[in-house]
Amino acid sequence: MLPVLVAAQGEQIQTPPPAPPPPVGRPSVTLEGREIPVPVTINPSGPMFGLSPLAEALGGKLSSDSSGESVTLRVADTEVVLGPGNAIVTVGDSIVSLSQPPAPGEGGLQVPVDFLRKTFGDLLGYAFDWHPETQRLTIAKRGNRELSVTLDVVHLQGQSTIVLQFTEEPRYRINRDQPGTIVVEMLADRLNPPPPKEVQDPLVQGVAVDPQQVRIQLAQGVQAESYVLTNPFRLVFDVHPTSAVEVPTAPIGPTETAPGIRTIVIDPGHGGGETGAIGPSGVPEKELTLQLARELEAKIESRMGVRVVLTRNEDATLPLDERTAIANQNKADLFLSIHLNSSLGAGAFGTETYFLSPQATDPRAARAAQAENAGTPGTAAPVKPGSEDAAAQQDLDLILWDLAQSHHLAESQRFANMIQGELNQTLQLKDRGVKQAPFRVLMGATMPAVLVELGFLSNPEEEKKLQDPAYRDQLSEALARAIARYKALIENQPEPQAAGAAPAPPPPNGAQRTPPAAPAAPSPGTQPSKPPAAVPKPVGRSA
Amino acid sequence: MSRRAASFILGFALAVLVGAGLWWWLSGRVGGRSGAGAQEESGQGGEAVGFNLYFPAADGGLRAEPRELRVTAAPKDRIRKVVEALLAGPQAPGLLRPMPEGVTLGSVQLGPDGIAYVDLRWPDSPDPPPGGSTEEIQRVYSVVDSIVLNVPQASRVVLLWNGVQRETFSGHLDLSRPLTPDRGPKG
Repeated sequence: MLPVLVAAQGEQIQTPPPAPPPPVGRPSVTLEGREIPVPVTINPSGPMFGLSPLAEALGGKLSSDSSGESVTLRVADTEVVLGPGNAIVTVGDSIVSLSQPPAPGEGGLQVPVDFLRKTFGDLLGYAFDWHPETQRLTIAKRGNRELSVTLDVVHLQGQSTIVLQFTEEPRYRINRDQPGTIVVEMLADRLNPPPPKEVQDPLVQGVAVDPQQVRIQLAQGVQAESYVLTNPFRLVFDVHPTSAVEVPTAPIGPTETAPGIRTIVIDPGHGGGETGAIGPSGVPEKELTLQLARELEAKIESRMGVRVVLTRNEDATLPLDERTAIANQNKADLFLSIHLNSSLGAGAFGTETYFLSPQATDPRAARAAQAENAGTPGTAAPVKPGSEDAAAQQDLDLILWDLAQSHHLAESQRFANMIQGELNQTLQLKDRGVKQAPFRVLMGATMPAVLVELGFLSNPEEEKKLQDPAYRDQLSEALARAIARYKALIENQPEPQAAGAAPAPPPPNGAQRTPPAAPAAPSPGTQPSKPPAAVPKPVGRSA
Repeated sequence: MSRRAASFILGFALAVLVGAGLWWWLSGRVGGRSGAGAQEESGQGGEAVGFNLYFPAADGGLRAEPRELRVTAAPKDRIRKVVEALLAGPQAPGLLRPMPEGVTLGSVQLGPDGIAYVDLRWPDSPDPPPGGSTEEIQRVYSVVDSIVLNVPQASRVVLLWNGVQRETFSGHLDLSRPLTPDRGPKG
């Protein structure tokens, strides 16, 4: 029986019997105590090992592309792409930066030990230890770790979220081969299942955990996308209906009794070490966005009886994901991120309002959706990578996926249009339009969410205006009016008159009020939105 | 002819020969270093191919600048040459550099799924320059659009900064996922 050591992190490592010491000066590689013929080159940056014999010994498959520029290594259904002289490799969807680039040598392409750890180590559970004093690389299969997992299922606003929290990051694979079922398979770890728990959720029929896997059974007519959160490691599945008609009736929670705007989260852009844009005179965006947010908060609370939460109320650094999380935790009905703009060159000016773009959807989830659409679970329709068809297919995937999960996008667009309307009609600002972009702060929001750019700090004239408290008061007034209009619309109340139709404060500098200008040409990476439209139809297919 | 005169003529001829050789060598070296653009276009091997490079414009958008670059048929070489030309800056008036001076191109990788990984290196700062959303969009999509709209094998782009994939460059765009190009109209 092999001796078993317990590592510092509680990981069990089976140690092989010691191999006889090699002759001094001859580097060697041992697998489970037996020497295997692998060419080794000792570089000043560290040792390099022949990949081909290692792949053969450890169960990987190597292939080269036609141009010879890159090599693909397939390990446990994961593709690893590497190329000679290139320190960046891709492992599945992840990017890994190596200590030194792969290089041609004896035994084909040679790779550093960190490459071996990131591939065969993480994917197959091998431990690689380089001993410089003996010039030996030892490879041994790690014993299975036993990881604890906890399970939470939450249903909110028509969407369910399944959270699997692990004590450590597991080595796993998500299998969606069976329609309506998601299996999280452990590749080299064992799970310590939580006590059985009955799941009462309209979109999730059940979740079963055993030592080898977590099996999630979805209700009919729903689909799920997954993502990972860290510290601690969590695997999250967002489950939502593919068709509103097929959705089982959810237990009605307090937020679903009647549509309404009860809580608004206002996010003053940037803060702390992240200054945001800086104007020619040195004024930082983070200061002005906080002032604007506070002014807007006061207006909303005094007039609308709505709870307002600021994501930050001081000059502090706040990660983008936390801003959205604050909105979700407070069960906000509306999320508004306030920013001031800048461009390369001083010519740009005006306001624009963004909501999330289809590019922000998860490509992996989009691929799953593509496979489901094709009626071949788990496999994507074959398209030639890089071809026009592939690009068009990817665009189509993203659009379809966006339609399927756009619970809030249509509402976000409607709210964004109201904001632009108020800003343009009352303040005579250049209308740069309502646009879509993959903005991080809007991702993951479970409510209509927009980001408004209230002017360009890089433009000296706009910078000067934005420093004027009276001008900022007009900006926050326009935002408050847009919120009041949107609230009335959602709550089926008579809509307050738009600024253009009602008596409003005179425009600054005595300018005449004019209809809003035509939207500007789209900015790079953004898409001008369509006119207010009906809620996009979800895709009618089963998970 | 005296022996002394013959030695003088021989020495003079040798000096002329050495001087001419030195001039030829130096002029070739200087010519090879006369600007990044010249260096790109006189790159070794390959053929001259026309590309549209998308540079930031003062109004907040991108404008195409047609450029001929000497490239091989390998898509990674084309990506590299396109990004290097972008970093070297525009030649047309009114267009702007997408990245600060000193930013260089590190590694380039192209996955089988059409995702191009492009590592931008800036020794001056661990972080990308701060700015507003339009500025960030101009910087990022100058690279993304120039790659994807010129190299058909690349359909999406992941940008790294000093070897690290970041959540965002300056607080707006999500860079943790591959970006598709903006297919909207450009000047």
